[in-house]
Amino acid sequence: MTIHSLYIYDRHCICIYYQDWHRTKRPKPAVEGGILPAVSQAVSPLPLSIDAKAGTSSTYSSPRNTLSSSTGVVIATNDSAAPVPNTPLLQTPLPPAPTSSTGLAFDEEAKLVYGVVLSLRNMIKKLSGRDEQFVNYRTSSYKLHVFETLTGYKFVMLSDPKADSLRFVLRQIYIGPFLEYVVRNPLVRMDSREYGIDNEYFRTSIDRLVRGLSIFS
Amino acid sequence: MAIYGLWVINKAGGLVYQRNFAEGLAQLTSNEYLVLAGTLHGIHAITSRLSPMGSSSGAQVIEGETFKITILLTVTGTKFVLLTSLAETVADAVLQRVYDAYADSVMKNPFHTPEMPIRSEGFDSKITALIGTGQA
Repeated sequence: MTIHSLYIYDRHCICIYYQDWHRTKRPKPAVEGGILPAVSQAVSPLPLSIDAKAGTSSTYSSPRNTLSSSTGVVIATNDSAAPVPNTPLLQTPLPPAPTSSTGLAFDEEAKLVYGVVLSLRNMIKKLSGRDEQFVNYRTSSYKLHVFETLTGYKFVMLSDPKADSLRFVLRQIYIGPFLEYVVRNPLVRMDSREYGIDNEYFRTSIDRLVRGLSIFS
Repeated sequence: MAIYGLWVINKAGGLVYQRNFAEGLAQLTSNEYLVLAGTLHGIHAITSRLSPMGSSSGAQVIEGETFKITILLTVTGTKFVLLTSLAETVADAVLQRVYDAYADSVMKNPFHTPEMPIRSEGFDSKITALIGTGQA
């Protein structure tokens, strides 16, 4: 029993956040321009050069850099030029180098996930004849759960196939970390189509919530 | 506990058999069913590629808030799809029995053209006996 990954999409069909836990087949990094900045450092293009740049980036390259003082904690980094440095808040060690890859780049995978969710949602609506939501589907090796907010944000979680419905978890992420560290965070540019919503507090908070679940082991 | 409908989708994604049983879902035209079956065929192929852990089958059960779609994929690529209420527990067993009936009454029928719509009274009556009376 475990949880594999979490995707968040906005109402413009764009992936704005990604996080994964137990995943043997990790996606390849996205191609340049395939995903927005601040979605997930793990799958952003050129993950190595980011580390190299972090120490040397000019303070004048972006007005946002005034936020990233060496002593303070960066609350929101929407700029790819100023990535979150290794901070003590996020204690989880990065997973070891991917053992194998799905063969899909992250941006391709994110689009496929969204396509499946959208098609199934329309199919369920059509079949039921009501405003019924698509909840989840299961294959032999994973289960995909969906929670859609009234504002069109879609929370998609992949888990073990034997898991019960995880909609309540997605709802908890929405009313907890999402509301607190994204909606109420003036530095996150929601609905911008240019930036994701990744920030350190949000990521840490989701990580803590998910790792605290009984299904996560 | 209700079985709403049964579809048979051929290996190319065409709907070759569709029948409604209990009321509860929207009444759609046969054209709409064709489109939905094609969509399901495509989704099924994609879901097997999204696995985070090794290889995976396609979607087996798809759930909405009040009903679920159970899919049986045979080795020949034909898909049997059953639309039931969420509480229905016999969906897998029913699909297996439908597959048996399909093998007996459709595949052994010398007048049946493979991959074409199923027009067989024998199959119809077996399904009726298995699931209940349909409204044609």
